[in-house]
Amino acid sequence: MKKAAAWAILFLGITYFVLPLIGMVEFSLSMRRGVYSFDAYAKVLADPQFRQTFSYSVFMALLTIVFGMFLVVPTAFWVRLKMPRMRPVVEFVTLLPLVIPAIVVVFGYIRLFNTSSWLPLTGTTFGTNMLLMFGYATLSLPYMYRAVDTGLRTIDVATLTEAAQSLGAGWFTVLARVILPNVLVAVLSGAFVTFAIVMGEFTMAALLNRPAFGPYLQLMGANKAYEPFALATIAFVITWACMGLIQLVTRFSKHTKAAR
Amino acid sequence: MSFLTISHLEKSFGPNRVVKDFNLTVDQGEFISLLGPSGCGKTTVLRMVAGFESPSAGQITIDGADVVRLRPNQRNIGMVFQAYALFPNLTVAQNVGFGLKVKGAPTKEIAARVEEMLSLIGLSELGNRYPFQLSGGQQQRVALARALAPKPQVLLLDEPLSALDAKVRVSLRNEIRTIQRELGITTIFVTHDQEEALSMSDRVVVMHQGIADQVGTPFEIYNRPATRFVAGFVGTLNTLEAKVLDPATGRVDVAGTEILLHRALTGSNATLGLRPEMVSLGQGAHDTGLQGTITDVDFLGSVIRLRADVGGQSIAFDTFNTTQSSPPRIGEKVVLGLNATDLLVIGD
Repeated sequence: MKKAAAWAILFLGITYFVLPLIGMVEFSLSMRRGVYSFDAYAKVLADPQFRQTFSYSVFMALLTIVFGMFLVVPTAFWVRLKMPRMRPVVEFVTLLPLVIPAIVVVFGYIRLFNTSSWLPLTGTTFGTNMLLMFGYATLSLPYMYRAVDTGLRTIDVATLTEAAQSLGAGWFTVLARVILPNVLVAVLSGAFVTFAIVMGEFTMAALLNRPAFGPYLQLMGANKAYEPFALATIAFVITWACMGLIQLVTRFSKHTKAAR
Repeated sequence: MSFLTISHLEKSFGPNRVVKDFNLTVDQGEFISLLGPSGCGKTTVLRMVAGFESPSAGQITIDGADVVRLRPNQRNIGMVFQAYALFPNLTVAQNVGFGLKVKGAPTKEIAARVEEMLSLIGLSELGNRYPFQLSGGQQQRVALARALAPKPQVLLLDEPLSALDAKVRVSLRNEIRTIQRELGITTIFVTHDQEEALSMSDRVVVMHQGIADQVGTPFEIYNRPATRFVAGFVGTLNTLEAKVLDPATGRVDVAGTEILLHRALTGSNATLGLRPEMVSLGQGAHDTGLQGTITDVDFLGSVIRLRADVGGQSIAFDTFNTTQSSPPRIGEKVVLGLNATDLLVIGD
């Protein structure tokens, strides 16, 4: 009886989660009357604006990942090694983007870096792109920092650092050859989450008026019937592919097995 | 002239002085052990030599050069850690070659040195394995090879055997000593295990509360402890309270028996130390016999450890296990034989 109830609850949960997805995919395939087809997908993929916004967001995501990695890995390493007492403070700071809405952050950016400010980043395309990348890095900070910090927790950072130093390594070598390779799986986990966040982000890109995938999704949703559902399905596939890659990377990491 | 000199070394963490006026000279190729209980400052001294801690005061010179201001990666010191500290992302061969690669040595030279080091530790076949595929003993041998590969001036060993099981520990300590002798590398070994320190070292530094209580050969440390702490910490020691009858000749009274120590004493009371192996059951050929009552019998296999009450003072001693005689029973009256020359006068 108990087992049956458990199965029923599981079934309900799966239905609650899967049914809307099935509906969405089913609708995205129903562009042609009476038969299922990929017409909506073909239209979306043929749209030059799709390709432009998609590639822009992919580029921005990669840039954000690289910037995030250079910002977070040394910070988390230094906090763990030299300032363990500051960990709660740093963790709190990295969690702030979860409680401060993106719209507040972006308005803050616009106010601070507008064309009449001391650093007029919004005055040029390059500057605005940089500002958007910083914004994305801020949004992904809670996930990136947590992922890297968890990775650092699995290794003896202090002893490995000292071992490398005693062998003649300077700080850069310690970070690049010892610490980073050992937290690479964690960094990649953070990177994939960052990628998924950037690909779907709307607020910052829209308010900074950049041609990103998020605003394009919104634009399509407001003007077309079937294409937005095809786009939503594509976005879901990207997110799930990222999650799958996290699992794959973890599984194929050769040296992350527990010591005997 | 000594190769490594530590002069007036001090280290404080806040108000805590963990190392106090520590002095040591180490000759080239010498194997020195820093021995002491947890928290005595031995690891702090080692970490200051390595450069991981900055001294509050004092000087450390290696081969005549002051290294206190040098960063750890500039000191050319090899270090082996208790927790192995092998890089998990690198194979055994890559771990061993890490120091040379950092120094920018040519690939051929690195490969040759790695092969040499792996053959030295007897793990030539395991070069392609990752650390997690090795046992604890193998990991520590790789750590030793890694520390030695860049040909350091000094080798520091921070309790490298503590995490290993007893059998591996004994075989590895012999291996470390053999390799150290073979390479003639100046070595400082930190341990809290007196057996390790006594069996491996040329000289032992016994540390207590941040101070080097005694520096000497294992024989001197064991047989002529300079302080009460050294006497109690190294080996098992019976302490006997004695009444001084004649300070000039060293005539004392121990539990009603007069003993002539043939050395001048000060004060009216003295504390004497006596190793269990210096006491025998029955006076035999010994110059002194103490009357006692057996209070405890511990069968340890090849030896039997007995404990006797001598005038209210407890003395532990060992007797060999033989099939010809049975050990005394608890409550049995016995005579404990000892020589006055084996009694240590313990200072503070």
